[in-house]
Amino acid sequence: MALEELQGVIERCRGLPETEFKEEDHSIFQTTACQCLEEGHAAKLLEILQDEKNKDFVICMGWNCVGPIVSCALKDEQEPEYRENCLKILDHVVQISNPKELLVGLLEQIEEAFGNNISKTILLLLQPLQTVLLKMKHKKAYSVGLSLATIQSQLSQLPVPYTTEQRKQDDYELCKCCMAVISFIKPFVDEVNRATKSKQNPSCNELKEELLKFCMKSLEYPLLTAQLHPLTEEIEDNSLRTFATEILVYLLAMGESLPVLMVHQLLQSRKTLREIDPLKEDVKYPTNSLASLAYLLFVQHIGIDQFPALYSPGYFLLFNMEYIAALISRTEESVLSKGLELFEHCLLTIEDNNLSHKYLEMKNILGIPQDLVKVMTLCPIEHLRKSSLKLFQQYIDKFDSEGKYKLFRCLLKTTQHAGVQGYIIQNLKNQVDLALKPGNKIMWFSGPQLMPLLHTVLSLPEGAETDLLQNSDRIMASLNLLRYLVIRDNEWENQTGLWTDLFWIESFLKPLRTGLNMSRAHYEAEMRAKRENRKIKEAPNRETQCSLTVGGKKLPKMTTAMELEVLQSAIYTFDVMESVQARIEELIEPKIKSRAEDKNVANEAS
Amino acid sequence: MAAEPARQWTEEQLKSEEVAKKDIIQFLQQSASEPFLGEHKLMGNIKNVAKTAKKEQLIVAYNQLFETKRFRGTESVEKVAQQLKDVKLGAGQDKAKAKIPEVTSNEEPPKYTKSVLQKGDKTNFPKKGDTVHCWYTGTLEDGTVFDTNVASSSKKKKSVKPLSFKVGIGKVIRGWDEALLTMSKGEKARLQIESDWGYGKKGKPEAKIPPNAQLIFEVELVDIE
Repeated sequence: MALEELQGVIERCRGLPETEFKEEDHSIFQTTACQCLEEGHAAKLLEILQDEKNKDFVICMGWNCVGPIVSCALKDEQEPEYRENCLKILDHVVQISNPKELLVGLLEQIEEAFGNNISKTILLLLQPLQTVLLKMKHKKAYSVGLSLATIQSQLSQLPVPYTTEQRKQDDYELCKCCMAVISFIKPFVDEVNRATKSKQNPSCNELKEELLKFCMKSLEYPLLTAQLHPLTEEIEDNSLRTFATEILVYLLAMGESLPVLMVHQLLQSRKTLREIDPLKEDVKYPTNSLASLAYLLFVQHIGIDQFPALYSPGYFLLFNMEYIAALISRTEESVLSKGLELFEHCLLTIEDNNLSHKYLEMKNILGIPQDLVKVMTLCPIEHLRKSSLKLFQQYIDKFDSEGKYKLFRCLLKTTQHAGVQGYIIQNLKNQVDLALKPGNKIMWFSGPQLMPLLHTVLSLPEGAETDLLQNSDRIMASLNLLRYLVIRDNEWENQTGLWTDLFWIESFLKPLRTGLNMSRAHYEAEMRAKRENRKIKEAPNRETQCSLTVGGKKLPKMTTAMELEVLQSAIYTFDVMESVQARIEELIEPKIKSRAEDKNVANEAS
Repeated sequence: MAAEPARQWTEEQLKSEEVAKKDIIQFLQQSASEPFLGEHKLMGNIKNVAKTAKKEQLIVAYNQLFETKRFRGTESVEKVAQQLKDVKLGAGQDKAKAKIPEVTSNEEPPKYTKSVLQKGDKTNFPKKGDTVHCWYTGTLEDGTVFDTNVASSSKKKKSVKPLSFKVGIGKVIRGWDEALLTMSKGEKARLQIESDWGYGKKGKPEAKIPPNAQLIFEVELVDIE
């Protein structure tokens, strides 16, 4: 019988110093304890362990019970009374056994849990673990760090609730665990807090380092991927929003300064390589954690009353750029959307036309719109594409004229996407319109400065061979700009330099005319061929040259009717381009004629 | 053009009891150009200037006037502004690239008012780029406190350290950047900042600052680095 074996071991070891315990004694004790519990002798086991005579034994060997107790307590069908006894055993063992071994035993249990047991084990063992850690004198900081690392690595396996339903149900009990961990570390935070205030006790620095590490890690997981907008309905304080608030409270309690943290990344990026110790600096305040903190502060307003409301809007944007850049370069919706929201928030306080062009010299200020373009064009999530487009325009609007000018030039150079180019050209048109209004002397969008931009815009990227359909957005925007300029800027005023050398006829209109003719001819020929094919009803063995698969499903081949539709719409696009071009040529014809005449007159006169 | 005023006192006379502060101030106010007076903080009621300026400073100013010959009527305001701008541009090119753009115009009338609550040491004034440490309380016109770092008895946990930042280079709202440069170490002042030099049309919603809000700060300049 297991009980007897158990008692045998205890008696054998009674009175012996610990060093004389044999290997087998440990394992016998463990297995017999396990068996006892399984056989339902929890109460008896408790009695034995509580026996004063056995105290020394329990101090040395008690930790072996941890494993069996945990597996017992976690059993689903456990009777509440039985479970209670198990917990009492655990409690007793934790109170009197050696903390060092207990720690190992407890952490082992946490580490080995998997699946649904992860949260259960953690919730079960946090309290005992705390008791053990508080008992430790030496190496407390190290042990706390080890415990937190173990807990975190296990928790990071749990999925983070995102939808409202998920958040309310908290199926994997992540929220519950997070809140439990908050209570778990409170006494240690308090200890650091007291030490910080009294400025004594340097050993508390190590403890602070470990707790800080944990806070930073938590900011990244789960907070960076969590949905933190407040739920409209009341839910208990078990949400990750509360967790975030508490983390912030702890950071402050340990003496961290929010403004210093927020500016950290900006200062880091300005240091030369020699000044930074890459191993130390990056690890202590990881960018992703700080980015998460920025989001909590400035978008969710968690802890914002602890942040000074003094910084200039420009500087505020500047130090947040580091975090925005980090967030919007990610692809996960939860992270990307946070970046966009943070960006939106920073732009809120800046008035239009107020941001100096000098900001463009700073890192990230120019990089961010390029990142936005990536999101606008490549992100599969529609509402994020739309948000980033909106932000893109807002961002452009914030700059002063010189800033806008430089931004347009840079973006036109760096983006190949026709839609984005078209969008910028529209912006350009608006700025030129503004500049030409009487009393608005803006030198960047009228006069000689405008020339390089016009050269870039009023041209076909590959001459007559440009794919007109692919680039239709850009070409239409350019045509519209040209038409506008031809009408708005009188030849004799020539405020935009358009009439100086008429380069755009050679670089834009002529190749466009050629291109249109060629494309139209090509597509019309295709259409004729298709229609003739149709007439031949027997059209066997139409080789499939390619097939298209979307989301795992193969798309059906296009019917001839559909193909004809596509070809027709291409031709409509050409029609539109041609009509605008015709109109432009109509408008410039008299002007060119009169120029030629003037030239002749001048030639004759000389 | 008026004839150049002559030096009426020798060095010894200036330093002695013979020449009072008020005399020097009066002379300077009569003879020096306005920008000169502005730079040396010699404008306004003679009594007040005498209170805030030390005799040594006045003697220095007196000598400088004759060295630079910045007499009344010789300088236009634009010239001074240009000089300031040139200085700034030169300084800007020397420094590393990654700096916040400085405010370019110095000629706007100040959009804030300052009333001194407690005098400072009147010798240590922060320069642009210095790090300053301050205690402050910010309120709106209606008295709502929107921000403070002064440890109060309220349950809010505030840091025990004053706010530190580099002054005069655009990191904080303009009202602060301009006002702090006029404060000396230990000075406590009440600043009333118009919204243009505060948070302007947009305000700062998360700090409960509405658009076009005038901001009132009580600032104590504790230290300068």
